[in-house]
Amino acid sequence: MLLSLNLNSLLNAMPGSIAQGLIWGIMAFGVFVTFRLLDFADLTVDGSMVTGGATAVMLIKAGVSPWIALLAAFAAGMAAGFVTGILHTAFGIPGILASILTQLSLYSINYNILGKAANQAISVNNYKLLASLRYVNSSGSDRIIFFAGLTAGIVILIAVLYWFFGTEIGQAIRATGCNESMARAQGINTNFIKVLALMISNGLVGMSGALYAQCQGAADVNMGRGAIVIGLAAVIIGEVLFGKLCEKRKLMFAWTLLSVAFGAVLYYIVYAVVIWLRMPSENMKLFSAAIVALFLSIPYLKGKYGKKGVKRNV
Amino acid sequence: MSEYMLEIQNVHKVFNAGTINEKIALDGVDIRLNKGDFVTIIGGNGAGKSTTLNAIAGVWQIDHGKIIINGTDVTKLSEHKRAPYLGRVFQDPMTGTAATMSIDENLAIAARRGRHRGLRWGVTKAERAKYREKLAQFGLGLEDRLTTKVGLLSGGQRQAITLLMASLMKPDLLLLDEHTAALDPKTAAKVLELSDKVIADNDLTAMMVTHNMKDAIAHGNRLIMMHEGRVIYDVTGEEKKNLHVSDLLRKFEEASGGEFANDRMMLAN
Amino acid sequence: MKKMRKKLFALAMASVMGMSVLAGCGSDGGSSSGNGSSTSGGDSASGDKKYVIGICQLVEHEALDQATKGFEDALKELLGENVEFVFQNAQNEQTNAGTICNAFVADKVDLILANATSPLQAAASATADIPILGTSITDYAEALDIADWTGATGVNISGTSDLAPLDEQEKMLLELFPDVQTVGILYCSAEPNSAYQAEKFAEYLTADGIAYKEYTAADSNEIQTIASAAVQECDVIYIPTDNTLAAYTEAINNICLAAKVPVIAGEEGICKGCGVATLSISYYDIGYATGKMAYEVLVNGADISTMEIQYAPNVTKKYNAAICEELGVTIPDDYVAIVVEE
Repeated sequence: MLLSLNLNSLLNAMPGSIAQGLIWGIMAFGVFVTFRLLDFADLTVDGSMVTGGATAVMLIKAGVSPWIALLAAFAAGMAAGFVTGILHTAFGIPGILASILTQLSLYSINYNILGKAANQAISVNNYKLLASLRYVNSSGSDRIIFFAGLTAGIVILIAVLYWFFGTEIGQAIRATGCNESMARAQGINTNFIKVLALMISNGLVGMSGALYAQCQGAADVNMGRGAIVIGLAAVIIGEVLFGKLCEKRKLMFAWTLLSVAFGAVLYYIVYAVVIWLRMPSENMKLFSAAIVALFLSIPYLKGKYGKKGVKRNV
Repeated sequence: MSEYMLEIQNVHKVFNAGTINEKIALDGVDIRLNKGDFVTIIGGNGAGKSTTLNAIAGVWQIDHGKIIINGTDVTKLSEHKRAPYLGRVFQDPMTGTAATMSIDENLAIAARRGRHRGLRWGVTKAERAKYREKLAQFGLGLEDRLTTKVGLLSGGQRQAITLLMASLMKPDLLLLDEHTAALDPKTAAKVLELSDKVIADNDLTAMMVTHNMKDAIAHGNRLIMMHEGRVIYDVTGEEKKNLHVSDLLRKFEEASGGEFANDRMMLAN
Repeated sequence: MKKMRKKLFALAMASVMGMSVLAGCGSDGGSSSGNGSSTSGGDSASGDKKYVIGICQLVEHEALDQATKGFEDALKELLGENVEFVFQNAQNEQTNAGTICNAFVADKVDLILANATSPLQAAASATADIPILGTSITDYAEALDIADWTGATGVNISGTSDLAPLDEQEKMLLELFPDVQTVGILYCSAEPNSAYQAEKFAEYLTADGIAYKEYTAADSNEIQTIASAAVQECDVIYIPTDNTLAAYTEAINNICLAAKVPVIAGEEGICKGCGVATLSISYYDIGYATGKMAYEVLVNGADISTMEIQYAPNVTKKYNAAICEELGVTIPDDYVAIVVEE
């Protein structure tokens, strides 16, 4: 069977993986904000991804411009993050549980947004979608515009996030995630900050969902399932592979985000390789878990077995 | 306008009320600080020293009483709302700073205590110059490492930074909660020296909790001794200066009617 | 050393981005009449054209498997050695369907078989040129967002539908259980095909003056709950061609059999697991029909955009002997017993 493998066909599938990776990369940015900056495992994303997608699709089908729909998806995601934030801060429900509760409720809400249906199709034949698998393999200018736009979008997003987390409020978010009691001692309203961060994070996820639904040609109530794992995988892969490189002071945060996007792309490239190898795809989940576990353990193993004979300084 | 910088009126706090772990932490504490007072607070374990500081800071709500800082009744305010009035340094060097952020970012966050945080840039060039200058006065070489992540610094260095953060905005009240207890003797002495300097330079009102009776006598203009949630001894000025450790021990026995069998306090001397 | 690594990193990122744009530009010739770059191995001795067909199946379960088999059998009969199938299972994940179809398109396969709705949507998004045939899909207009449905899609898509004549299923229910008071309709709310069938079935029940109740499961975790609730309140249960419930028929059977509530199933696979009877279309048959359609498109150059969606050629009344016996249901003679393999 291996004889029949054709490298060309793997390379041909790359653009699709890169596109999917970049779109999910936006979602990974959202996961990065809550997981790394706020030290919070936010499972809302499985639901808010769909909320964004559903909102965008329904609006586009109602005649709204896809760009406006994108913004609306961001807002919808923010609303989801807001709910989790309130459950956690105002009602004292532990973070992870609060996010799970929101995710559960979102299933019904998303179903309703989709017009009491589980799936709403949106065809690139009917609307000028922002993203579509069609553009990925097209031969004309569609493809260039799409990839250029996507790349530009990611870069702009990174720039905006870099700026935002360098502002006073952005710093307050980072401080809250790093050391909550210190933040409070410095007059930061940590409850407000947590809700804000969750809103920003899920807004990003919603936006990613909007692009993803358009890419696939449908918003489906289950399309966010497992999103948190992919997001975490992207963050961790990015950190492990490029963490050392990002340690340069200047623009470190921006490089870190870029590595997260790269992590997402890598994840999808790996999946494409799995398909290309004609590996039974039911093993993909095991494979992904193994990859993530591997990447997670590299820093630990390095520390344990890497540097030999380094004297501890007294 | 009150003449006192800090007024703690008849404050009570009980932890785990009604359970087997019930502890009366503060049992009618009354303290009045004048502006410029530098009070050292001593007492055995569980006397209520750190608890008093936490009550002032608003880490939790007190059961009864009032806390008034510079004329403002802060009793009902939450921790972050009281922060503008206070500067705090904690026993654990990790607690006072954000380890993953740089020195200048930490200072910048402290500089905005009490101010609205918006979308302005987090650390401006002008600020950085100011921080460099202030850190230079500490003589620890930190002014050249403004962009270093605080997590990479030693305990003493982190406490120094926390100290600067606490005093940067010239708060009404500086709370030092056993802030040298986790440091080695040499570093502890240095940090104490810095604390004196900071308090003197900024003319701050300060409360310092310590287990070290020698330090308690040597620093500050006033000394308070607590036992079982109450103030049992309060001495100022000349009388304080002329105290010896043995005096304090005797004072304690008198006031509490029991042997002062606290190993830590003995060993700290 | 660090500078080197930084340069390498930047280079890597740039090359990935650049590759994404350039990758196809070179090998991208004209249309997809593609033996092109994707034929692998196998020289055909006679020099006949060898067709490569990508099959994207949503999930493994009997009905979908049968459809694929029918499809492959038809084409093997018609094309012999000159056809190669690339089969991929999407593990019931929409993302995977997207990746799979994208790989097919990048590979310039000659035709894509989309087995179930998500693969169809993914394939439709991925290409407007490569012919796509769908199967095991109930409503093409809904799945493809096509207004003014004429029976053919008007684009590069056609296929077969598994829409069973629901009115006849309802008649069968009444035939077997004329005294029914309330019918419970069970399905997974995440499957648009099921919702569609439930709605239609309910309409027919209402027309006959029979009361009904709907029970929906959000996912497989809720199946037991809804089944237990349904057997309390209903005397007959109907399950449409629902992919989620189809994978859990044993659990459903345990509950319904114990409560002595019979189940009318929308397709044979479900009936085998927990149903009394079914008016089934054969998924093998529609798969086979799809295979013949593929031959028309590939070899005879039929215009796929005008090919009408085909429906199941025959319907058969079938019953599950074991379950009927347990429940004491008598089956009329014109029913065929389902053969249960050991």
